[in-house]
Amino acid sequence: MEKNIPLIEIRGLSKSYFNEGIETPVLHSLDLAINKGEFVSIMGPSGSGKSTLMQILGFLDLQTSGTYLFQGEPTQRMDDDDLARIRATRVSFVFQAFNLLPRTTVTQNVMLPLLYHPVIPHRERAERALKAVQTVGLGDRADYLSSQLSGGQKQRVAIARALVTDPDVIFADEPTGNLDSASGIAVMEALQQLHKDGHTIILVTHERGTAEHAERIINIKDGHIESDTRSFQRKFAGKGKALK
Amino acid sequence: MRISDTLQTAMKAVSVNRSRAMLTMLGIIIGVGSVVLMSSIGASMQLVILGQISSLGARSMVIFPGSTDGGPNPLATGHDSLTFDDVDALKRLKTIETLAPVIFIPGKAEYGREEASTQNLGVVNYFFENQNIYLQTGRLIDDADNEGAKYVAMLGSDAREKLFGQNDPIGKRVKIGDAHYTVVGLVKPLGSQFFQNVDNRIYVPYNTARQVTGQKYVNYVTMRSTTLPELALEDVKSLLRQRHKIDNPKDEAKKDDFGVRTSSQANDLLGGVSLGLTLFITTIASISLLVGGIGIMNIMIVSVTERTREIGLRKAVGATRRNILLQFLAEAVVLTLTGGLIGAIGGVATAWFAAALVKTVLATYVFVISWNSIFAAFLMAAVTGLVFGIAPARKAANLSPMEALRYE
Repeated sequence: MEKNIPLIEIRGLSKSYFNEGIETPVLHSLDLAINKGEFVSIMGPSGSGKSTLMQILGFLDLQTSGTYLFQGEPTQRMDDDDLARIRATRVSFVFQAFNLLPRTTVTQNVMLPLLYHPVIPHRERAERALKAVQTVGLGDRADYLSSQLSGGQKQRVAIARALVTDPDVIFADEPTGNLDSASGIAVMEALQQLHKDGHTIILVTHERGTAEHAERIINIKDGHIESDTRSFQRKFAGKGKALK
Repeated sequence: MRISDTLQTAMKAVSVNRSRAMLTMLGIIIGVGSVVLMSSIGASMQLVILGQISSLGARSMVIFPGSTDGGPNPLATGHDSLTFDDVDALKRLKTIETLAPVIFIPGKAEYGREEASTQNLGVVNYFFENQNIYLQTGRLIDDADNEGAKYVAMLGSDAREKLFGQNDPIGKRVKIGDAHYTVVGLVKPLGSQFFQNVDNRIYVPYNTARQVTGQKYVNYVTMRSTTLPELALEDVKSLLRQRHKIDNPKDEAKKDDFGVRTSSQANDLLGGVSLGLTLFITTIASISLLVGGIGIMNIMIVSVTERTREIGLRKAVGATRRNILLQFLAEAVVLTLTGGLIGAIGGVATAWFAAALVKTVLATYVFVISWNSIFAAFLMAAVTGLVFGIAPARKAANLSPMEALRYE
């Protein structure tokens, strides 16, 4: 039964920002469904609305109109505490700027989401954090301060932090944006590995090369979904036939 | 999020920037420190004064000439309202157990080439009993000395020191004015009574003092009541009013020309002084903690602004408004309580040093820690943290996670 329900489903979802009474529409009546276990890239140029879409899908913001169903449950009536609870248990984020706590060790950074997790017991925190750190290949740097790591290592710590609560979906917002190409490749490989392990990953990027790591690319332009293609379709399109 | 996690997070946040935290806490440290110091000094002084009152005894009373409401020092010479007849009449009161009139002999004391400004009193032997003054060596002035108006003297320890140094003064003759007195005894050091140095006195027989001064009045009278000092007080007042023809003591034209002080009145006075001191300390504390609190609020607001992205991150990983509010409130309280702790330790240490210094001039001074004031100061510091931490904490809690994450 649950297999037929998409993990994420939006219908007619719109978002506008209001500043001093002036409405600025950002997303226009979007329809989209993402299934559990998918690796999806949301791609688009700066100002296209891709980050806004990620924030709404990641419960950091609410839509202005339309429906957002998460595992079939409507989300528009959720209050701040409900949204915080979902962020603590069901979703997690990897940010472009890493957002690690300064003067704090790798393990302590990874443990941060567990402070706010309502279910995971206190005694399991350290063990879970260490396991997540090992998963991203930084087991030997678990006690390093975040400031002692390279950019790529910092982003892998951020991935470990996203993993530690075992969320339903991981959102990665331009995760390679602040990295050199070698580190960027390592981070994308880590995300691909997570996908292979069964995690749902939604990647937001403006770079085609980065987006290509996903099996599905949703192209957004001016608040509209311009295209939604899967890797096999892209391969086919590469041979000269346009596909939707 | 568990309370222990909130506290741990708050302590870590405070410890990350130690020098800033110290500067932030300075107002609280000074506030709490001054409260603890002042309270300790106040409690020590209270003990000193209580000691002086109790050294006189609960039933001890003093009658002095002159008006009690303002005017010159009632114990100074020149007031002649207490006559020898008054003293005789007072002796007959049933509520009075012992009574000792006192006459001052002006002038310096001399022995050989040594000269000393002493307080010279003509007394009867009850005086020593009334004032809890005890003999150290030699003998007390007795009835025979008094009745014979003999030229004998007893010395306080300071008077002896000034005139004789460490030499034995018994049998030697000291000169006061034109008269010579043979030293017959030394009294035990007593320190001060109501901040008068009792040890700087020379005692001679009352009748001898009457003779050498030619005075027709006494300078003051010490008494000890038989039962309740209040009853004796009323008896003394009504007798003297009757003898001095004072019908209405509230009448400005003919009010009381004498005053009576009892130990309980002194106690009441002390209570008033304590209340004043408490109000003074509370005022200092309130002002310091207010200033300290504003400092804390200021830095907390700066801290919230600096850590906007961190707040965004915490919210993104599941922190609720309440979690963030409590975290920043806890930081403010940790700051104020740490400041309070440092202030309390500093206050106690300063009070200890002050006590050591004061003890060199006031032997009866003792170091007292006022636990109540430490507790109250701590409580006020915690409340200050809560009150002044609430605005920055609310600011942090109300940040939108998305905007906080975008903050540059």
